[in-house]
Amino acid sequence: MVADKLKAAGQPRIYCPLIALVFLFLPLVLTQNAFYLSLYFMVFMFAGLSGAWNIIGGFGGQLSLGHSSFYGLGSYTCSLLFVKYGVPPLLGLLACTGLSVILAFIIGYPCFRLKGPFFTLATIAIGEVLLLLAVYFRGLTAGSEGLSIPFRPSVLNLCFNSKRPYAVEAFCFMLFALVVSIWVKKSRLGYQLVALRDEDQAAESLGVNTSRAKMMGLIISGGLTALGGGIFAQYVLFLEPHSEFSLTASINLALTSMVGGLGTIIGPAIGSFLLVPIQEFLRVWLGGSFQGLYFVIYGALLILVVMFLPRGILDFFSGPYHTLLARLPVFGGPSRSDELGRPFASSARLGRVEAIGQPEPLPIIEAESLSKRFGGLQAVTDLSFSVNPGEIFGIIGPNGAGKTTLFNMLSGVYRQDSGNVKFKGKNLAGIRKSHLVCRLGIGRTFQLVKPFENITVLENVMVGAFCRQPKRSEASKSAPKILDFVGMLDKKNALGNTLTLADKKRLELARALATEPEVLLLDEVMAGLTSYEIGEAVELIKKIRNHGITVLVVEHVMQAIMSLSDRVMVLAEGRKIMEGSPFEVSRDPRVIEAYLGDGYEAA
Amino acid sequence: MILLQLIINGLLLGGIYALISIGLTLIFGVVRVINFAHGELLMLSMYITYFSYTLLGLNPYLSLLIGIPLMFLVGMAIDQLIVRPLREAPAYMQVFATVGLSIVLLNLALFLFSGDYQSIHLAFAEKTLHFGILTLSYAKLIIFFSSILVSIVLYFLLRYTSMGKQIRAIAQDRMAAKLVGINLNRIYMLTFGIGTALVGIAGALILPVYYVFPSVGVYFVLTAFVVVVLGGMGNMVGALLGGFIIGITDSLSGYYIAPSLKEVIAFIIFLIVLLIRPSGLMGIVGAEEMGMK
Repeated sequence: MVADKLKAAGQPRIYCPLIALVFLFLPLVLTQNAFYLSLYFMVFMFAGLSGAWNIIGGFGGQLSLGHSSFYGLGSYTCSLLFVKYGVPPLLGLLACTGLSVILAFIIGYPCFRLKGPFFTLATIAIGEVLLLLAVYFRGLTAGSEGLSIPFRPSVLNLCFNSKRPYAVEAFCFMLFALVVSIWVKKSRLGYQLVALRDEDQAAESLGVNTSRAKMMGLIISGGLTALGGGIFAQYVLFLEPHSEFSLTASINLALTSMVGGLGTIIGPAIGSFLLVPIQEFLRVWLGGSFQGLYFVIYGALLILVVMFLPRGILDFFSGPYHTLLARLPVFGGPSRSDELGRPFASSARLGRVEAIGQPEPLPIIEAESLSKRFGGLQAVTDLSFSVNPGEIFGIIGPNGAGKTTLFNMLSGVYRQDSGNVKFKGKNLAGIRKSHLVCRLGIGRTFQLVKPFENITVLENVMVGAFCRQPKRSEASKSAPKILDFVGMLDKKNALGNTLTLADKKRLELARALATEPEVLLLDEVMAGLTSYEIGEAVELIKKIRNHGITVLVVEHVMQAIMSLSDRVMVLAEGRKIMEGSPFEVSRDPRVIEAYLGDGYEAA
Repeated sequence: MILLQLIINGLLLGGIYALISIGLTLIFGVVRVINFAHGELLMLSMYITYFSYTLLGLNPYLSLLIGIPLMFLVGMAIDQLIVRPLREAPAYMQVFATVGLSIVLLNLALFLFSGDYQSIHLAFAEKTLHFGILTLSYAKLIIFFSSILVSIVLYFLLRYTSMGKQIRAIAQDRMAAKLVGINLNRIYMLTFGIGTALVGIAGALILPVYYVFPSVGVYFVLTAFVVVVLGGMGNMVGALLGGFIIGITDSLSGYYIAPSLKEVIAFIIFLIVLLIRPSGLMGIVGAEEMGMK
């Protein structure tokens, strides 16, 4: 294990960043200039703070414009404990992170169940509220007059005689934020955050508890920010509500990440290396009278970056950087190539059902008089059916027949108005969250494909695999097997948004398979495909069934569903018209009528 | 009796909030963009009114004749220059862009007009109406009735004109609206213009009773966000109702708790709404959990 780690250090992708860090650190030791040292302090602190912001804002795409509430909470907690109770700030930092967890719950719990801009609004508002409270409770915080922290240099107090130790401290803070970012990004949480940022509903259907993932992201992000606030306060030694809880500072963190590269690990640091010096030099050169003008430029920069550089400046450099990495020598011999394990077909655990061909199978899905109404539209009416294990169950019907609504009820996206669904005899009525349904063993795909666009095919599948395997090492082993099974292994490094429609649909299937479902709901996986691709899809679905997975197929491509299904159910206007073998269904006058309208037979 | 006076004060204040929020919620409902620069647009219209009073000697109520068309154009320009290129971008990109615009406008005002508080004195605006021991300011009464009038006009505009029908169609379902041949871009632009013109009206009407300074918008826009969420995002009747509720809450909590904590109370209401009924008073239940179209 240790030998492996040492070997990894010989890789250019490991040693290059380490060399870069050493070069960043060197000036701290070499320079004597107090201005530069304080500049380094600012740059590194900001790099760490926007790195912290980036965990929820970048990875998770949850735009916070109130991170100064965490920052201010940290700085006030740490400093007040010191000033009022003599608790050394180094220990006070623990209290900072503790309180920030509570704050994260207050913001996150109401907002993260919802979609849309609520979280952003709530973060702004809570920043403002904490500002008002800090001004109001004068007795505690000294209000607008500001709180002075006594100058007592010691490591325990995080307070030093010269600028150099401060700069080193900030460097360590930045390193810590980087390490946390890397850890989050490579963990299950990181994959889940990126997945829910790209496609919330799809992530949920793959077993991702999106509310929980966002909450974890906010806790980590807020905790780090509070830590930064606590450290920064011992540098300034003076706190004032309007500067601690400033909206501008919150926006600044977001802007820094954005300029560097949103959702990347070093993007925020890069943004900070660029923006903080510009800011500091402009402040020195322009002086106070041009403050307003400076911020005008700043705001304009924000707009321009969003419009013309949405991926940040890192995007320019990542290409050449990777070419450079490829050319640099590898020390200590090549590392283990990530080979596939055994071929998939023989022993793999695709589904978790082995019970095919039992004498009298109990239905795996049993729906009893399901109904669902949207406003004035009765989408599904009194629908009952059952599906046997290992069956391919086709569902057809004209547009608006309620097929997708039915799938949404089965997968926990909607709750039925009345009726019951049983899965392996267990009632699904109390389970409304689709990630829980997925964990029980019902996977699904979406009619409108929802691949996670900004991560690779392999990572897409890993998001699904994390449903059963919390560890990244296991998920990254099982995902290629699934890709091999669906015949996409050669595209594993392609990004989700570069795929053709057929491949996107196949990827959806692979992702759903990775969650090891017992029942798979396929919503028009063949719509829009060529007849050759349809043929492939039919073979794949049969192959999936042969692994013991029960498949429910909603489809319009008639010849495919007829050749595929064991039984077919026909819906029209939310009601079941009939159910039977494909042959029976294709001959039934009611079906023909539903599709082609009254009077067709006569004509 | 003091309670009655407080409630009346709250209703009058609520008129201001409602007037500001209606534009915000209209833009959100149709263009699906939260305009974080909305407060700065309020500030802009207050300065327009201020300068047309001090430089041209125009009465604030008359200056609406300049202010409304001007703000309408400003709104359309913002839509075309900043929002349009980001229509298909993720929502957070649009937020960034409007936040950027808000920073630019605020600091440009700071740079051009300095941070000083400015106000105008109208003899009329300082008059009050007395009912027994109740006092009502004329200027605030005008705001109150204007907010109701504006809502009614807007209602009929949306209900009966072709443009209004197109706007409502888009608010309900973008894709379907596009399929029946509605020019989405044109309607977005017009909606942004109307929403901005509405905040323009608000700015002109409140100048006689408030100070204008570069960051005045920040104060109002935070309350407007609460109002919009309380009323149901995108719902105009909700914004009117929410405005009055928050106005009364502000007035009561300012008196019974502490003036400087009234925003805290508003925020607590905001959180409670998110917890209990995130769709707001008038919104469609469940819409926010599904992610609106």
